Amino acid sequence: MNRRVYLDHNASTPVHPEVLQAMLPYFSERFGNPSSVHGFGRESREGIDTAREQIAAFLKVSKDEIVFTSGGTESDNLGIKGVAAARRTGHIITSQIEHHAVLRTVQTLEQEGFTATYLPVDGDGMVSPDDVRTALRPDTIVVSLMGANSEVGTLQPIREVGRITREAGVPLHVDGVQTFGKVPIDVEASGIDLLSFSGHKIYGPKGVAGLYIRKGTKMASIQHGGEHERRRRAGTENVAGIVGLGKAVEIRAREMGEEATRLTALRDRLWQGVRDGVDEVRLNGHATQRLPGTCNMCFRNVESESIVLGLDLKGIGVSAGSACTSGNVEPSYVLVAMGIPLDWAMGSVRSSLGHATSTEDIDYVIESIVPLVAKLRTQSPVGAGRP
Amino acid sequence: MQYSPTLIDHFRNPRNAGVMREPDGVGEEEFTECMDLARFYLRVRDGRVEEARFQAYGCGPTLAACSAGTEIAAGFTLEDLATVPPARIEAAVGGLPPERRHAALVVAGALRAAARDALARNGRG
Repeated sequence: MNRRVYLDHNASTPVHPEVLQAMLPYFSERFGNPSSVHGFGRESREGIDTAREQIAAFLKVSKDEIVFTSGGTESDNLGIKGVAAARRTGHIITSQIEHHAVLRTVQTLEQEGFTATYLPVDGDGMVSPDDVRTALRPDTIVVSLMGANSEVGTLQPIREVGRITREAGVPLHVDGVQTFGKVPIDVEASGIDLLSFSGHKIYGPKGVAGLYIRKGTKMASIQHGGEHERRRRAGTENVAGIVGLGKAVEIRAREMGEEATRLTALRDRLWQGVRDGVDEVRLNGHATQRLPGTCNMCFRNVESESIVLGLDLKGIGVSAGSACTSGNVEPSYVLVAMGIPLDWAMGSVRSSLGHATSTEDIDYVIESIVPLVAKLRTQSPVGAGRP
Repeated sequence: MQYSPTLIDHFRNPRNAGVMREPDGVGEEEFTECMDLARFYLRVRDGRVEEARFQAYGCGPTLAACSAGTEIAAGFTLEDLATVPPARIEAAVGGLPPERRHAALVVAGALRAAARDALARNGRG
């Protein structure tokens, strides 16, 4: 039996046992509709209230500024479309390497008459605050930037951007799905007006997330129905999920700092081990301003899916930068925006480490990946394998 | 993505991988949509393939299909190999998921090209 090593925590994480325990009573014991006035409903409402307090305490904001949603994608949609719906017209600034939840939301708004600027990034995947300043227009209604890119892990200079947007009086939306609960976020010091976060990236359940909305931010709801979430997001709350999200946040507050140090060391150990054993490999993303557990490497002239399959057969779960769908492979748009040449970008593999990742796991991955890449290259007609 | 045990075995233990010195025929095919590239080398005796070797750049199914392709080619007449259909390759790896059928296309195309090259060198192309 192969060892099993999960290195895809940026995609999803296992639910923490304490989170699961906190959630369980809300499926069949405290099942009432939190909007109901009777005791059954009040029990559910208490669970939501506790979760809201846990998250507000973590972000050091008012609990009225937290809105629960069904996922990071919905949070991004609500944050951006909510501002757009309140303004009805205007200009949006975002970057070329955002998650599709942001990119496609902004593209949709463009079709509805809004205008948009997609800022470039440098070779490390970082947006320049100066570019944000230059792109601002009198009719700019929101700037939306990710806290960190999920593929390469580069942390964006949110604090600097926040200073600029605050000075300009433009709301700043941060897609914090990859940073929330992994690195400190100071919404006040960073000038963040809207912050998307998600449960399943931080050992909470899937299907639950949230959006911090700074008091006073001009917003309209985009989903209509009942009076839920102070009329900002209609729909009966996912009570068990929200309770789980609150608990997950409480645990992250406790464990985040120490874990970041440990994962940074393991991430660097992985890169050093691979670099020492493999020719023509490069690290993508910023050398230091990067998520603690993210290590994205490009193996020149090797196709990333063959590496992912080879590692899968060794029990290792990583993700490929280029995805082949219906026989059509596109290199990662993030790597393309970073200016990484195609013969490198097609061979990108992301490892994202997490709570359970051990030194032994990392050494096993290094021991597996070095001969695998060598073998794939001996079979390859391009690059090193060329006769 | 679910692959057959046969495909996984070819990926894990590729047969006849690597370059062949002084081949009697060489052919390659590129599947531009996904940039997969397969190249086959043939050793021919009396009009039949005696040995085939491959080099490939691509996803796991393409590499596995190349390995299977070398086993299929051995014993084929050049004329038959010059018309080998993708379905023959797909069957040899125990089937392919619909979104990976290009593996059979690129391998069959490269084998046919190698066979045509060998025929041409023999003045029969």
